[in-house]
Amino acid sequence: MVISEEARAAIDGEIARYPRKRGALLPALHLVQKELGHLSPEATREVAEIFELRPVEVMEVISFYNMFHARAGGRHHVYVCTNLPCSLRGARGLLKSLEAHLGIEAGETTSDGRITLDHEECLGACGYAPMLRVDETYHEDLDEARAKEILDALE
Amino acid sequence: MAKITVDGTEYETQEGRTILQALDELGILMNGVDIPHYCWHPKLSIDGSCRLCQVEIEGVPKLQIACNTPIKDGMEIRTQTAPVKEAREGVMELLLVNHPLDCPICDQAGECKLQDYAFEYGVEHSRSREPRRAGKKNVDFGPTITFDQERCILCRRCVRFCREVPGTGEIGVFGRGDHSALETFPGLELDNPYSMNVADICPVGALTTKDFRFKIRVWFLEDVPGICTGCSKGCNVWLGTANNKVYRYVPRRNDAVNETWVCDDGRMSYRHIGSADRLDRAMVRGELGVLEVTSVDDAVAAASERLRALVDAKGPGVVGAVASGHGTNEDLEAFVRLLDGLGVENRGLATVQGESDELLVQAEKAANGEGARKLGFGDAAGVLDRLNTGGLEALVVMGHDLLDAQHLGGIEGLERLDTLIVLDSHHSALERVAHVVLPARHAAEKAGHFTNHEGIVQAVAPAVEPAGEAVPEAEAFDRLAAALGVAGEDAA
Ligand code: SF4
Ligand code: SF4
Ligand code: FES
Repeated sequence: MVISEEARAAIDGEIARYPRKRGALLPALHLVQKELGHLSPEATREVAEIFELRPVEVMEVISFYNMFHARAGGRHHVYVCTNLPCSLRGARGLLKSLEAHLGIEAGETTSDGRITLDHEECLGACGYAPMLRVDETYHEDLDEARAKEILDALE
Repeated sequence: MAKITVDGTEYETQEGRTILQALDELGILMNGVDIPHYCWHPKLSIDGSCRLCQVEIEGVPKLQIACNTPIKDGMEIRTQTAPVKEAREGVMELLLVNHPLDCPICDQAGECKLQDYAFEYGVEHSRSREPRRAGKKNVDFGPTITFDQERCILCRRCVRFCREVPGTGEIGVFGRGDHSALETFPGLELDNPYSMNVADICPVGALTTKDFRFKIRVWFLEDVPGICTGCSKGCNVWLGTANNKVYRYVPRRNDAVNETWVCDDGRMSYRHIGSADRLDRAMVRGELGVLEVTSVDDAVAAASERLRALVDAKGPGVVGAVASGHGTNEDLEAFVRLLDGLGVENRGLATVQGESDELLVQAEKAANGEGARKLGFGDAAGVLDRLNTGGLEALVVMGHDLLDAQHLGGIEGLERLDTLIVLDSHHSALERVAHVVLPARHAAEKAGHFTNHEGIVQAVAPAVEPAGEAVPEAEAFDRLAAALGVAGEDAA
């Protein structure tokens, strides 16, 4: 078992809040990812068992949403929004320069395991474009220099 | 009851069905009423993902998908209007935007719904100038299936099949939007007893069976209707034939028997038809004690002499008969005529019992055990008891299921016989002790009927020429009866 008893109890709590069990699938996946860092096939199987779904159905949900990770990533996840408003304000160029800065491409993790960089669809901060998200924190109204500073400061 | 009008013609149908379901039930879908469709399949749940089946409904402002729109009494449906045609062209154009168009190297070409519908309902030219999405080619999905991601149109038929029919659910559509791709769950293979059906229901060349891949272009195949003889279900199949050879079985729809499926083992059983171990010549044990190839006529004469001598000397009580579930009803009726003529009472049926499942596969591994039982052949145990207690001196055997561990388990006990006559389509150890061997035809080589486990009688017709000099068992029995002088009036 890779999912802890505590996480399982929390999932049961979520399930109780929905009329149908599978309604709690997204909150449950968030809980498991928070605990394990990513949603491995083993974790996916265990979630499927809890929800009486097939592993492949849970995998379809995981792969549908960018915020779920099927593979282990770095200590920090950095998402650069490249949706339309951010792109109009230079987000694609920003992402390119961060790729060059870290020496990886979007979707990859630095060799020291520090950062996983990815692009992301709208994060709801269009008024402050371009922006990026580090784990749970938003950084807005960026330029390349400021963005690099933020990444360099990550442990 | 509900009345619906389709393109001006009125039909009566049941309520509670969608438009496509109702038309399918009436037998007119793509057979009078053309509503092209990819994702909808009569035996799978409704997906509504391909959007090709759009039709116009009187009083409804927008086009509706026929696969998922329930019929209503008085509904007026139009399938051939300008807006419908335009919608189809649009869907086809989008489906082709990322398609590799590698028909020349695609095994589906010739039976591809993308080709057919593009030709029938699409536009001639592509307006897209963007590079096509590249996908994985030649992906090993498991022991039976190869996947080509570029060709997949994401109709999810295969996904639904695996979840709903065998219930194994190995595959899913992962990712979102134009990143969506069909994949197996990490570490899982597409491996279940019905896996190859996904290749039949895949409308394009994305899923192909490893067995049939690159064997022959499908337009060289003639599809002959037939029956799988792998078990007593008697699934309806098309035998894909060319060059007097059967290249494959694919399921033939019969809602009363196999719906639209066949099991993988049954599908692969086509290989027995022209296999190297076919028994294709008659043989008689000669003076040197070895089987010698001879003509069917000579073999029939030899069998008749031996049986006649025995019956005249000791009566028909020393003769036993073992029928096979592989013969047609006609073969078995001829066997009954022969045995009745000779007065042989020791009759039985030997079939092999194996695994079964909830879906199609039956335990009895022969297509016509039920037919044999209906003609009075009970279990072979009685005959074998008599054999083992020395009460038999001659045995006439169809097939070699008798050798299975469930019956004799080998040839021991048969060496003692004065006369062993075997009619079989394939070589077996029986030949080590048989005195006369007659080559029998495979079900694909003869006309006749099989009675399945539920009593449904199904006809077969020859799809290929017989192997060598193989004769239908019915003919062999009738010739034997004639030679023995016991042929009744209705025998040949
Ligand atoms: S592989 Fe074939 S059946 Fe499966 S989703 Fe793709 S096109 Fe449809
Ligand atoms: S279920 Fe039986 S009859 Fe049907 S395909 Fe399989 S072996 Fe053949
Ligand atoms: S057949 Fe109706 S949407 Fe695909």
